[in-house]
Parts: sequence; structure tokens; C-alpha cells
Amino acid sequence: MATEPAPFLTALRLSDSFLPTGGYTSSYGLEQYLNEDRIETADELGKIIRGYLERIVGPCETVAVANAYETAAAGDLEGLLAVDERLHAVTMAAEFRESSTKAGRQLSELVLVEDGRRRVGDDGKHRHTVEDGRRRRASEADASESGSGRPLETAYAEAIERGETPGHYPVVFGVVAAQRGLSKREACLAQAYSFVTGVLGATQRLGRFSHTDIQSILAALLPVITDVCDRHVDDEIAAMASFAPLTEIMGMRHERAGRRLFMS
Amino acid sequence: MGYRDVAKIGIGGPVGSGKTALVRHLVPALVERDYEVGVIANDIMTQEDADVFRESFADTIPEDLVDGVETGACPHTGIREDPSMNLAAIDEFTESHPDLDVVIVESGGDNLAATFNPELADYFLFVISVAEGEDIPRKRGPGVTQADLLIVNKTDLAPYVDADLGVIERDTETVRGGDPFVFTDCKAGTGIEDVLEHIEHEVLFA
Repeated sequence: MATEPAPFLTALRLSDSFLPTGGYTSSYGLEQYLNEDRIETADELGKIIRGYLERIVGPCETVAVANAYETAAAGDLEGLLAVDERLHAVTMAAEFRESSTKAGRQLSELVLVEDGRRRVGDDGKHRHTVEDGRRRRASEADASESGSGRPLETAYAEAIERGETPGHYPVVFGVVAAQRGLSKREACLAQAYSFVTGVLGATQRLGRFSHTDIQSILAALLPVITDVCDRHVDDEIAAMASFAPLTEIMGMRHERAGRRLFMS
Repeated sequence: MGYRDVAKIGIGGPVGSGKTALVRHLVPALVERDYEVGVIANDIMTQEDADVFRESFADTIPEDLVDGVETGACPHTGIREDPSMNLAAIDEFTESHPDLDVVIVESGGDNLAATFNPELADYFLFVISVAEGEDIPRKRGPGVTQADLLIVNKTDLAPYVDADLGVIERDTETVRGGDPFVFTDCKAGTGIEDVLEHIEHEVLFA
């Protein structure tokens, strides 16, 4: 595991719900499981999340993190875009794609271009008015923004911004991790962990599960996270695939759900 | 073009205080003054709700400038700690409407502690209702004290809920420390012109 403070702290930052990438708006189908009364007990919840890990997070997202990491470390932009494209193709539910790409864009904006982008308020003015907006558009102020000093990250972030690549969260995550000293395995573990805490938190807000039950489930899933990451950390891009029919059906039914507090 | 290129007005406040009623007054008034306006409502529960919202602005703004953002049962997070999904929705507005001037972001019902992230709202209004209790202002919630403009709505209901408007006004003056507030009755349209004047002065011509 990480022993150097900087990568260790980066891993904590990336897997912390404090990271403002909108993860709290995603339930990846769990809202629909609860809408349809398919989860009653903490035990059932634990089993379902285990299914997510074994069927989606491991064979799909971990493979994406690992291959994004490898291609980013090698400076291979084409390879990186291929990982993004593949993950888009194998993510079946439209809302799962939407949640992942919206969060990915946010992570890209926050981290990949954070060093170079002009921050809001840099003009010394807190409140922006209609007139400011009109002036900025007229002067094309954005054209002066520069990149992060990391060419591959900048090129990838720009491709996301121009809509040329979807910018899935696990892919951006792998790029960030590769360039900030985490190992590939640590990157996969951190991403899988943040997925689990994200959906457990969503479930706790939607259903009636106690904080101790949620923590027990999380503790029991830690070895599962390790297992699925170890199983898939060296998979090739072509192996990336998910098989979770019920979860995918839940994700699709959620689009027309009678109650929806979550984006997915 | 992106969210940094438009003026953004946040509207927060407790559930049922009259945020949506206020938005329904403000949007046509701003459109009438030749501003291109977008509206985002947080925590719209179903697509049906979103459609109802779009219908109410059908004659004033294009359908694709009305959006709903789900905040995962965390209404405060969506406007304060992590406004990313609201900012993404504004970015989508600006992609298809490069001349957009102003976006109104209505929060999904808060307690009195809710405030807007300054990157999400250049100017924020907090709406309370006299029917929530005469003592709301003197609780000094951050929403009440920090808002750029405080709206005390449903003044018409005061006699029915034993609320003394004089007490509310005195307390509000104290906790606002000289910052502006307006009494409104959104149902009758009373006070709306005052609200618009503040917005025009602070956000549109500042």
C-alpha cells in the first residue's frame, strides 16, 4: 500500500465523499430497488452491493481504471480514448452512463485542469452580472485559459470538454491516479471503495438502514473489494464487460419512476 | 461558454415558503425586460413534475431552458458543498443558448441553515413564510442572515396563524443588520416589484 504521504493523501481525497463531483446524486439503480421493495434487510442490501462489485465494479469499472491508468502512464492518448469508448459501450443503462460521465467531467474540471484554469473570482469581483457575462462573451475571455502543464491530462480534459470523448468517471479517475503517484492497484481499490460508500450512502438516505448496519456491510465488503480488484486489475480492454441484468433493468425502469430523488 | 459566463440567481428557503410562486413571477418579468432566462429546479421528483414546470413557462421561455436536477436527498449539498450537477445543467443551457443572460436556480426546500455556494449563485434570495412561525427571523439561520435579499412571504396569512407582522419586521431588521428584505404576498403579487428592483439593481445593472 501507499507509504508516501502525497499519493496516500490523494487516494483519500479521491475516495472521500467530500470530493465535489456530484456522486451523491447517483444511486445506480438502488433507488429503483427500494421503490419496488426489493431490499428489506441489511443482509439483502449487502448481497446486492456484493453483486455490483462482482458484476459491474470489478469486470467493468476496475478494468477501465486500470487501463486508463496504464495508457495515461504511457502517454497514449489514443489508447485512453479507446478505454473511455469501451466503457461507454458496455454500460447499458442510460442513467448509469449519464451519472458516470457527469461525475467524470466534474473530476476532470476539478483536478485535471485545476492548475491551469482561471479560478472564479480571479478578476477580484465576487458577484458576476449580466453585463459581465456579455462582456466576457464579446472578448472571448476563455481563450486565454491555459492547460495544467501535464500534456496528456490537458489533451484528455479538452477532448471531454469538446464532447469528443464521454469522460467516464473511472477513466478520469485512472488518469488522475496515474499522474499523482498512486499504484494501479491502489487506484482500483480507491475507486471501488468510493463506489461502495456512494451507493451505501444513497441507500441509507432512501431506506431505513441504521448507521451501524451500513458500517457492518461496508466492513464485510472490504475483502470483496480487494478480491474483485485483484481479479481484474490486469484485464485487457477487450475483457471489459458487465453482466448484471436485474440491476440494469432497475436502472432503466428508474428513468420513468414514480419517485426519483436521484439522477440514476 | 459555460456557467461562468452567465449571472446566476439562487432562490432558497424552506419547503412551502413560496419559492416556486416567486419564480413564476420573476421569469416572465425578466423576459419582459429583454433578458434571456433559464430556470433550474432542484429535487423535481418525477418527469411529470418537470413537465408541469415547463408548461407553466411554455409561453415565456424555451422548453430546453427549464431543467430539473435531482440532488440525491441532499438539497443543501446540491447548492452548497457540491453544486456540480447544477453547474453542469447551466453549462448545458449555455451550450444551446449562447446569449443566455441569467439563470434562476431554485433549491429543493431547505432548513434555515442553507446558503448558496458563491460559484453557483452570484446573488441569492432566501424565502420564508409568516405561516412557518413568527419566530423564524430571530432564529438567525445562516440562510436568513446571509442571503443577499430576504423575502418574507405569505403576509396575507398572518392573521390566521397568530403571527404579528410588526414583530416579524422588527426581528428581521435586527438580524439582517441593515441588509435588505421585502415583505411579499406572492399569491396577490404584492411586493414583487420591490424584489425585481433589487435584482435589477444588484445583478442586472451592477
